[in-house]
Amino acid sequence: MGRIRTFAALGAATALLLGACTGDDDDASDTTEQAGGGTDTTAASGGEPAADDTLAAVQNAGVVRCGTRDDLPGFATLDASGEYVGFDSDFCRVIAAAVLGDADAVEMVALETDDRFTALQSGEIDVLVRNTTWTATRDGTEGATFLMPTFYDGQGMMVASDSGITDLDGLAGQVVCVAGGTTTEGNVATEFTRLGLAAPEVLSFESVDLLQQAFEEDRCDGWSSDRSQLTGLRSAFPAGPEALTILEEVFSKEPLAPAVRDGDAAWAQAVEWAIAVTILAEELGVDSTNVQEQLASTDPNVGRLLGVAVDGAVLDPGLGLAPDFALQVITQVGNYGEIYDRNITPLGLERGLNDLWTNGGLIYAPPYR
Amino acid sequence: MIATRTSRPPLWRDVRVLKWAFQLAVLVAAVALVYVLVINVNRNSERLNIPTDFGYLDNPSQFPIPDSDFRQTQPVRDAVGQGLINTVRVSVAGMVLATILGTLVGVARLSTNWLVRSAATAFVETIRNIPLLLIVIFSYGSLAITTFPRIDEAWEPGGVAILSNRGVYVPALEEAPPFLGVVAVALLAAWAVSRWRREVADRTGTPSHGGLLATATAAAVLIAGWFAVGAAFDVPVLEGRIASGGLRISPELFAIGFALVIYTASHIAEIVRGSIQAVASGQGEAAWALALSPIHRLRDVILPQAFRIAIPPLGNQYLNLTKNSTLGAVVSYYELAQVTSISVGNGAPAVPAYLLTLGIFLVLSLVISALVNVANRRAAVVTR
Repeated sequence: MGRIRTFAALGAATALLLGACTGDDDDASDTTEQAGGGTDTTAASGGEPAADDTLAAVQNAGVVRCGTRDDLPGFATLDASGEYVGFDSDFCRVIAAAVLGDADAVEMVALETDDRFTALQSGEIDVLVRNTTWTATRDGTEGATFLMPTFYDGQGMMVASDSGITDLDGLAGQVVCVAGGTTTEGNVATEFTRLGLAAPEVLSFESVDLLQQAFEEDRCDGWSSDRSQLTGLRSAFPAGPEALTILEEVFSKEPLAPAVRDGDAAWAQAVEWAIAVTILAEELGVDSTNVQEQLASTDPNVGRLLGVAVDGAVLDPGLGLAPDFALQVITQVGNYGEIYDRNITPLGLERGLNDLWTNGGLIYAPPYR
Repeated sequence: MIATRTSRPPLWRDVRVLKWAFQLAVLVAAVALVYVLVINVNRNSERLNIPTDFGYLDNPSQFPIPDSDFRQTQPVRDAVGQGLINTVRVSVAGMVLATILGTLVGVARLSTNWLVRSAATAFVETIRNIPLLLIVIFSYGSLAITTFPRIDEAWEPGGVAILSNRGVYVPALEEAPPFLGVVAVALLAAWAVSRWRREVADRTGTPSHGGLLATATAAAVLIAGWFAVGAAFDVPVLEGRIASGGLRISPELFAIGFALVIYTASHIAEIVRGSIQAVASGQGEAAWALALSPIHRLRDVILPQAFRIAIPPLGNQYLNLTKNSTLGAVVSYYELAQVTSISVGNGAPAVPAYLLTLGIFLVLSLVISALVNVANRRAAVVTR
């Protein structure tokens, strides 16, 4: 009798444990399955897995889970009160404002570089806004769909100002340190081969802290990463930004773009247009300070963008977003120029390629009509 | 005829049936769990177009590996091979050094000298209780790259070695294989000479001087062989800020090696201490009674019996050391975990890549366990 009681207790405990572990996943997959079944009955009846419907799931849950980081000045870092500040953090808020009407309805999930795609694939996050480069291999094999780039970057090299190195030739056969988990090692090796220089010794660290220590102790001659990252790290260098020089060479194209899961067109379009309206707002001269006056603007483009009735009708392009989502984005977060000036300009990085197309840059959004 | 019924209980109360039924149920549950997990991963990967096979091994790796001939145009499978070589290199060296250090510290913990005993106890109690990750980070950031000077002010003792915080370079043998043949011949000759002298000593009673003559023979063969095969030393040179040549121990290898050795040695010290204390005290007393010196008492009587007891837990520590070598990834030592992590960062699918790494570590661990079991069997007391 005692043994039966023990077994019963053990069985109950195991059942409880397993139930707790799988409970959340079941709920999440149930809602997505139902939503998917509702909008895509042909696929469901055809026996294929129903397409993800993250847009409906996010609107039900009332929060956007945004994959990001907490250690890159200018892009995503924690301020003294524990709030996320940065270019990518602001774009997370842009997505929340567009989809849910509230820029603070966002859950920031700090990820390591190694885990960022796994978190997206597994459904731990809804969107990845983490200075991630859009490449063909990532489109194909990471199960991710990349959206409109928010920042056009390139890989560069940083050296100590007193090292006497002025270009990549000076680093031939020397030591270059990178932060691991990205394509940076490969780009360094490829560029040196392309220039016919002796291959450097490439060290790849998991954490920026150890890398910085190695660089300070002269274990590394060069530090290679995206130029925006280098600018941020240089601004926070203990010995001061003047101790470091970023070389002029840019040796790869690094368009940084948000990413969502494959096979989720509605969500991808919603996020893409959330980003696009920040660019359109800057093109039209609408920012968070004048958006209330602009509601009365006679320019039909401004009216359509802000969800005001133009020629008697409010534009609803059928994206699944509220008609005034652009108004919410601009009021609560700002336009592209404001986001850039707030986060990147203090690091000393000029707009350059990230200026509007009307000023010779690459920032261009499709028209909202 | 009276039909007697055997007193078998009904099926659902029969212990023998229940035993088999329960085992079968557990087996089915375990297989079902694994099956569900595998199906889940496969279905989700297919849905997201993530490859689940091992085709990525043929893609160019796109990253170079220091201290090797590996180039970034070679396929990922070669990178995995080089990572495995590096893992084995640090694990084997670590096992040997940790055993030596651990034995010394373990014996020191039982010393009658208060200072020696306290120092050993302090070492064991401190190192054993610090997480290995912290030891690794400390030994890199505060030891490996700060002990020796920067490359601009590197020490060059005797002009044959270079000591800097970018690595320790010592002279190495050029063209190793022919000289290794000479070394083998020398060892063989030494063994033959010592056997011959022992036979002579047994027969005639004159002192054999086996060790002396064997060493002399080996030295003679080595020197003759050196000139015969024309072996030479590869001396490291320092040009400006670039050092090359010779055998190099990089700060990364030093950091992970040092951390692994002192951490595992602190555990091995406790094992050795325990196994020495487990040897029957009568053995030690008998050794005293035979007027054996303390060194002989330890080396010839106590330690051989203690090691017999220590072999299984030592094997456990070797397995731990091998698996802990994956912390080399934290300090950019290109062992297997670092290579896998970088490949995944460059687009290799995560699940097959980590499965492959798991499989390789499983094989490594099984090999080590098998060797330890062989040693255990051979050292076991033969009972009739």
